[in-house]
Amino acid sequence: MSTLRLRGGRVFDPVHGEDGVPRDLCARDGRLVEIAPNERVNSEFDVRGMIVMAGGIDMHSHIGGGKVNLARMLLPELHRHPDGSSCTPSALVTGYRYAQMGYTSVFEPAMLAANARHTHFEMGDVPIVDHGAYVMLGNDELFLRLLAERADFERVRDYVGWTINAAKALGVKVVNPGGISAFKFNQRKLDVDQAHVHYGVTPRLVVHTLARALTELGIPHALHIHASNLGVPGNIESTLATIDALEGLPAHLTHVQFHSYGSEGARKFSSAARRLAEAVNAHPEISIDVGQIIFGQTVTASGDTMRQAANAELASPRKWISADIECDAGCGVVPFRYREQSFVNALQWAIGLELFLLVNNPWQVVLTTDHPNGGPFSSYPHLIRLLMDKSFRDEQLATLHPEVAAQADLKHIKRELSLTEVTILTRAAPARLLGLRDRGRLASGAAADIAVYREDVNRETMFATPALVFKDGELVARDGEIVAAPAGGVYFVEPDYDRAIERTVSDYSDRYLATAFRHAEIGRDELCECCNPGGRLLLTKCVESARERAAGGRLQP
Amino acid sequence: MTEAAGALVATPATEQQARPWTCPFCALLCDRFGVTTDTDGSFALVGSRCPRAMRSLGQFSACTEPASATIDGAPVSLDAALDAAARILARARQPLFAGLATDLAGARALFRLGSACHAIFDHAHGETMLPGLRALQDRGVIQTTLAEIRSRADLLVCLGTLPSLRYPEFFRRIAPAVDTATRDVVFVGVDVDPALGGENASRVDLQNDWFETLAILNALARKRRLVTKAPALAALVERLLAARYAVLVWEAAALPGTQIALLVESINDLLRTLNRSTRAGGLALAGNDGALSFNQALTWMSGLPLRTGLHASGQDHEPHRYSSQRLLSDGATDALLWISAFGAELKPPPTQVPTVLLGHPALSSAGKDSVFIPVSAPGIGSAGHLTRIDGVVVVPLTALFADSTPTVASIATHLLDRVKALRS
Repeated sequence: MSTLRLRGGRVFDPVHGEDGVPRDLCARDGRLVEIAPNERVNSEFDVRGMIVMAGGIDMHSHIGGGKVNLARMLLPELHRHPDGSSCTPSALVTGYRYAQMGYTSVFEPAMLAANARHTHFEMGDVPIVDHGAYVMLGNDELFLRLLAERADFERVRDYVGWTINAAKALGVKVVNPGGISAFKFNQRKLDVDQAHVHYGVTPRLVVHTLARALTELGIPHALHIHASNLGVPGNIESTLATIDALEGLPAHLTHVQFHSYGSEGARKFSSAARRLAEAVNAHPEISIDVGQIIFGQTVTASGDTMRQAANAELASPRKWISADIECDAGCGVVPFRYREQSFVNALQWAIGLELFLLVNNPWQVVLTTDHPNGGPFSSYPHLIRLLMDKSFRDEQLATLHPEVAAQADLKHIKRELSLTEVTILTRAAPARLLGLRDRGRLASGAAADIAVYREDVNRETMFATPALVFKDGELVARDGEIVAAPAGGVYFVEPDYDRAIERTVSDYSDRYLATAFRHAEIGRDELCECCNPGGRLLLTKCVESARERAAGGRLQP
Repeated sequence: MTEAAGALVATPATEQQARPWTCPFCALLCDRFGVTTDTDGSFALVGSRCPRAMRSLGQFSACTEPASATIDGAPVSLDAALDAAARILARARQPLFAGLATDLAGARALFRLGSACHAIFDHAHGETMLPGLRALQDRGVIQTTLAEIRSRADLLVCLGTLPSLRYPEFFRRIAPAVDTATRDVVFVGVDVDPALGGENASRVDLQNDWFETLAILNALARKRRLVTKAPALAALVERLLAARYAVLVWEAAALPGTQIALLVESINDLLRTLNRSTRAGGLALAGNDGALSFNQALTWMSGLPLRTGLHASGQDHEPHRYSSQRLLSDGATDALLWISAFGAELKPPPTQVPTVLLGHPALSSAGKDSVFIPVSAPGIGSAGHLTRIDGVVVVPLTALFADSTPTVASIATHLLDRVKALRS
């Protein structure tokens, strides 16, 4: 039995309304528990005056899967740094850097079902942090066929359930709904109400069907949406149309910075952050993550081949990869350098910060850079300082393209996030949005994933190097040094669905795909192998599904 | 009567008797065939006449006695062999891990061992993996996968390759799906592949050499005016531009000369041009014997692809300098760890440096300063995973019999423990 006590830290746990009042935090065998003050423990740390939070949770960071590895292959020159740092670090360095920053769970948002084993293998080699992935749907041709054939909704829903289970995913992401597939038929643009050139279905139908399916399957994380027209000036209209398509169903709109552009002004490119924030404020069932851009070299890796191909001319350095994949989806890898003196990049930077600051309810916003697409995750401490420190933000804004520096709405926003709000954006909200009931909080019974920070007026310094980081009660990092590297666990859900759908998938697989149907599903034992010894299977509970409700309770497996 | 019963047992296996199997012997990883096991332990392929799979299966038997490890050719216990192998690796100042014919679990374990030994990694097929990788690193690529080709390709152009030579089931794997448009197949610089089924096939000759041919194709695709007359190539470009989804297939092992990466770059250029107005994708035929899998695993674990060294001073990716042949002939390495788990065909290069060999029992080496440890073949004696030819799909392998021989992953893990102990 292993016991731990952190004595006298200022605990921030917004789930339980704790706002920095000092108390002891104790753990036994990886779980937070009450231990009497005079009882002996195996290890005790005096953290008086320090800030204690649950371990950070990144719910949208491209840390594994084919596209990330292609980005590494494409850009060996960015790996020359002696410690292996780059915009797409190796799996090992990724785990270490996250832990060094106090993050203990990270989620890959774009796992292709066809690439799911690879993704789990790769994530399994990310040490320390727990991980999981959202499987991509909405561009796979069976789904589009079912919609085109006007199949019963229940069959589509069962297919969604089958896919989640087969890929061992935690949720579902839709990327440019229908657009990746449409690009395979040489369609170069797809608005929310425009028909897919081959299947005739609209993104509106794709989004609504998937959101409804996840709700009925009881998947804790609502549909994760990378909306249509990423990066296109004026795309706020399609982003708002996407929210409209949901008709009140819950959903998570991801990297909204890339989807909040107007087309006003001399350059036909403007901030529409206020319009998006107003929509989010009016829709409590919607959550967002921002996808903040950070100036410097990075690489964009996305399933959105339609948009990546359109942006390929902007590649820096001038090389890029595109792939159509297995009638499933695709991937595009385009290196990119965000420049302070570029009007567009400077405005993107301002739009991202405006979005963080204009959404009223912090529980609806998650801190991301869409790593590595907006910038590497290692820039989170810098981003936190921008959000917490108005004068620092103004200093940075003043160095940007003069038109943006002079005119950005951001100048007039006075809000500075509090430590409690940062705690929500970086742990409590993502835990709630993903259905992780024992993470992102510090009450008894929760997992002992803990980050302890030294108070510093420079919030970047403070958040860059926590004094102590614990994963499931084990000390893993101390003052920025990794002291233990346990294997992370993998989160997934096993929704209830009608197995009769397997015949449809199997027939389709035999007719169109290149791998035997018996290999479509990743079993639990196989998932263990992917994860490396010690990596635990973290089965996340579904809420009661529509089938279960109809049957009057939990169905037998 | 006895004879008749014997004859019944020896009746050729039917599909019903065959166990589903995934073939690990080329990067296509066919998983719709079966295998039967005869009473003498030999394996027979059902549902395919792939010569590569049949030849490779012939190297294995379910009834073989486990082979012994050897030191300098003399049989020893596994422990003694592991001790000797660990001494070689721990003593080496610049070990080379090569061959690398193993599955993903083997790759993961060898990476950890290589990190501890500061090894350089190159695969037995490093030379044919290199052109694609170099072209990717210089300008990028546009790729497609087997199911995309099956469902979408209305024009397939094989550039200098007869795919069925090294990938016998290639055309079956990409056979057009039932309701796909008719497909034309064009062979440039080679005759029509005899393995091709009912599709419309034709041949287009080279214009002098590959450099000139690809330059002309690129120029014509960009609508440039040419002084040179090349009607056959012009007609091919017209077809490529008119196709809804053209696929260019190439194979580094089949292209001539020493500057194959430049040819591949030119193929990728053509794909970029075609994709301005229509859709097209490329497929490289390469990556057998776990080369693609090792490249993927090394890339995610180190951040860098094959031909990378994990030195104490940091990692270093040297696509030319870190060729096994070159390192061995330059005397730039002082120990070789050679892995060949899928069969006895991939032999280590002749060398004077101390060698540790993990491989098929028939590879057993008698050389001086050599340690041989037999390992189980993924997909034959043990389960495993490999990456398919298009780099996207990881396919599970299942064992055909209960092999008591250890896997590459378990040997590498034992070696790591011993190397660490020797170093401390």
